[in-house]
Amino acid sequence: MTHVSIKELTKVYPGAEAPALDRLSLEIPTGELTALLGPSGCGKTTTMKMIAGLLEPTSGDVMFDGRSVLRDKPENRGVVMVFQNYLLFPYMSVAENVGFGLKMRKIDPAEISRRVGEMLELVKLPHLGDRKPSALSGGQQQRVALARALIVQPNVLLLDEPLSNLDAHLRFEMRDLIRSLQQEMGITTIFVTHDQEEAVVLADRVALILDGQMKQYDRADVFYKRPVDEATARFFGGHNFIPGTSDGHSFECALGKLALPAGAVSGTGRLTFRPENVRIGSGQEQENLLTAQIADIIYLGTQTRLKLIVCDTEVEAVVNPNEIESYGVGDTLPVHLPRTTLWVI
Amino acid sequence: MSDRMKIFLLLLPAMFIIVVLFFGGLAIGAMRSFNYMPVIGLTQPNFDAYISVFTDREFYLSFALTFHIAFTSTVISSVLAIGAALLLRRSFIGRGLVNFLFQINLTVPHLVGAIGMLYLFSQSGSFARLAAEFNLIASPADFPALVFDPYAIGIILQYVWKEIPFIGVIVLANMQSIGEDYESVARSLGASKWQTFRYVLLPLIFPGVLSASVMVFAFTFGAYEIPAILGANFPAALPVLAYRKYTDVDLAARPEAIAMAIVIALLSAVMIYFYVRYSRRRIRG
Repeated sequence: MTHVSIKELTKVYPGAEAPALDRLSLEIPTGELTALLGPSGCGKTTTMKMIAGLLEPTSGDVMFDGRSVLRDKPENRGVVMVFQNYLLFPYMSVAENVGFGLKMRKIDPAEISRRVGEMLELVKLPHLGDRKPSALSGGQQQRVALARALIVQPNVLLLDEPLSNLDAHLRFEMRDLIRSLQQEMGITTIFVTHDQEEAVVLADRVALILDGQMKQYDRADVFYKRPVDEATARFFGGHNFIPGTSDGHSFECALGKLALPAGAVSGTGRLTFRPENVRIGSGQEQENLLTAQIADIIYLGTQTRLKLIVCDTEVEAVVNPNEIESYGVGDTLPVHLPRTTLWVI
Repeated sequence: MSDRMKIFLLLLPAMFIIVVLFFGGLAIGAMRSFNYMPVIGLTQPNFDAYISVFTDREFYLSFALTFHIAFTSTVISSVLAIGAALLLRRSFIGRGLVNFLFQINLTVPHLVGAIGMLYLFSQSGSFARLAAEFNLIASPADFPALVFDPYAIGIILQYVWKEIPFIGVIVLANMQSIGEDYESVARSLGASKWQTFRYVLLPLIFPGVLSASVMVFAFTFGAYEIPAILGANFPAALPVLAYRKYTDVDLAARPEAIAMAIVIALLSAVMIYFYVRYSRRRIRG
């Protein structure tokens, strides 16, 4: 298994003014599942292709277990990439697709057949070996693509948007399959996605890339609790950014003077808190209790989104629908911002 | 008016041309090949023309030559066109110009190309004179026979020159629509560059190569003008032989000429069938 180090990796495409990827550095520990998260065109797939050796970096380095692999040919790197649209070879059967990597290594056909059978069992498609890819559903094609990659026992597995082409129920199924196979085989895995929910549920760590630059590389929950800046917070669904000044203990802003958690930075900045951390107050809270007027109520099924006006400042909240059954637009209600949920950026 | 009627009416002009002109002509030709020409009193159909064709030694020599021309031209053109397409799909400085030059002879008629070939490669042509001028050969007559030669080198050169861009343009468009992701997958699964070409790119572009090469084979097998201009007198390519018989002063040779033309078409169809079957099995395994 392999520890992947990406050092100041940069890619400038010929004729482009801005780099597609700008000095990206990452340390991906052995056997971990890391998500490269970012919107389309931010440089995620470019990064993957450079790790796989399918694209030359303009500068920087890619190291496996401390050794630079930039001079290694793609077929010698031990990296397998599974593309977003599966790219199963259409003229081959499912079994031939899965056994392709072994055939290229000139493994004995009987051995290929045995390992293909095992791998199809593993991805729960044991009876489909003779079918052509065009006769499979999207979810089945994704499993075949995964089996084709795993059969060669790669050191590093790269997954490009692995769940984006699947229906909701297949996404859950596939997510669990990827996670369990990755943990079972202990393969260092990097996957790219534009979907923060997908990144959070699947990855051990998430690297957020915006405009070709890495914004934050952390465990998933940290992005919700401690975003490094407004862009990062917004990417993870943050809406509330209140300008003001912090003295390290409290934050003076349009909402009043609010108590901060330990470790908060001092100086001017923006106070941020997630909409789901805004609580309907009971009136008993000792601090950070505010009075808000409801400007809008948006029913989302299992949750309700509220647009609140607090001291002439708009605040967004997401609450349990039962909590605001008795309230309507224009009503006032107490809201509580627990100090541990506040963060200054 | 119903949709069916609309479709029928829209297809009518094309169907008229195909059914009346093509199949009509074919039917009349077939009747004549069976010596059935009521206008000149031949009302008893027979196989005499076909027997005459199949018992003539020249027919077999001509068939072998024509097959050699069509097969060699198609294979060389296809291989070189794939190579050219592989180069042209890469980005490099001056690619637009190279692409333009590559395709320019698509606009040059076969006949013009053949005359150019004659001027360049015949024993009294430019290359022969240049070689003699630079003392590479004693006189232009010592220049190797590349036209009117028994191996049909001039004819094959002309077809290769003309058909490379034809197949190349089709294959290049095919490659560009496929993209490079399949090859990237293969490389990351451990395939070398050659294996990627052999097991991934070639099978993917195969339908395009097959269609283009079938067209080239059918054309070169049945074409008259290039073998007539650049070919040796004996043995002549089948279409040349058929035309000679058709224009024979003896009208009795005409059914034989038509029988030969029908045999050419049938042989061409049979060979294309086996070519498609065999190559599909070889390439796609």
